Amino acid sequence: MTDAPQGSGPGGGGGRGGDDQRDLELIAQWKAGDQRAASALVERHAAALARFAVASGERNEVDELVQDTFVRAFNSLDGFRGDSSFRTWLFTIERRLLLDRRRAEKRRRDRLEIQEDDAATEYDALDSVVADETESRMRDAVKRLSPTQREVFTLRVAEGLSYKEIADAVGTTEGAARVHYHNAMRAVKEFLDE
Amino acid sequence: MNDCRNAEVRDQLPDLLHERLDASARAAVMAHVDGCADCREELELLRVAHGTLIKATPRVDLNFIIEAIPNAAPRARTLTAPRRRLWTDWRVAAAAVVLIAGGSSYSLLGRHGGIVVRDTLVAQVTPSGAGSASPQVQPTDSTATTPVPSQAPEVVAEGPSEAGETSGLGASRMGELNEKQLKALLTEIDQLSPTPITEPDPVFLRVDTKGTTSPEGL
Repeated sequence: MTDAPQGSGPGGGGGRGGDDQRDLELIAQWKAGDQRAASALVERHAAALARFAVASGERNEVDELVQDTFVRAFNSLDGFRGDSSFRTWLFTIERRLLLDRRRAEKRRRDRLEIQEDDAATEYDALDSVVADETESRMRDAVKRLSPTQREVFTLRVAEGLSYKEIADAVGTTEGAARVHYHNAMRAVKEFLDE
Repeated sequence: MNDCRNAEVRDQLPDLLHERLDASARAAVMAHVDGCADCREELELLRVAHGTLIKATPRVDLNFIIEAIPNAAPRARTLTAPRRRLWTDWRVAAAAVVLIAGGSSYSLLGRHGGIVVRDTLVAQVTPSGAGSASPQVQPTDSTATTPVPSQAPEVVAEGPSEAGETSGLGASRMGELNEKQLKALLTEIDQLSPTPITEPDPVFLRVDTKGTTSPEGL
């Protein structure tokens, strides 16, 4: 049994190295003036960003959030050092944008004195068509997770990120990311066993 | 649904699902999963969760996103190239100014006798006699320049040479002095006061058309 840490080597992205390299090549092509490389990068990561947006509680303006994420990323691409993968870097930007939106939304609601449920605590975006009972139960289980658990669980299960990459994306430590994942997994199991 | 006690393997189940394990780690995890019902169950749960989350992905309009992506080419031109050219131009201009100023100064000094004066003074100091304590200055013409022999150093040769020939020490070359003149010069040197510690004041010669010369600045 291997005891290699998550985040490097076994369990840490062995299957993603090629993807990361391809991202770097596309970034270089875009910097050289090839706009098609930007389109390719969008196609590669837009869906993952949309999933993460939903997991983070965004319900209505996923397109706008993903678009803003890419625009900000391309405008600051000179600052991308490649310490993390391009996708992880995008998650970081998207999460920051999401937090900014929530703050702005909260200020706006405070001004209008409208009592609404906090979008960050709801998880209705998975209300799309679900094929069968198992998936329906799974959707409900994920829905019950805390916002942080849901983010970590989505990044780990849907995107396959390592704990180190998750920690970079959501601004926490690798150990905390691991704890959040296992707590989420336990909560999902308990819900499904009910 | 129970948790397997092997936390390391459980940690790696999502990586197994996403094929992010290298060959040896994958073989080890697979060997454990084959013999562990809890891990098989958890791996199946992960597959369902993965499928559910992927299916729940909202549709995004890629064209809407791509249209907003900035163009890279203009940024490269505006951010890097101009700065480099500006810096290069500035250095070339500074180098040109230094060369022009230095060259002009050198040329002016040589043309107006700044270097020649020393030879001129030496050339014009003529011993008045073996016993004389003060040197006399031979009159020169109104141009106040010293005739330059053809063997003069290059810097001297650049000065005016229309003054005509002089005799004796006017040749300004020690090698051209005869024995008598040489002895007289040595005597004069012996009688000079000791060299001051500080740099002496400059001596200027005023030459009028009558042929008399008087030092100034003493």
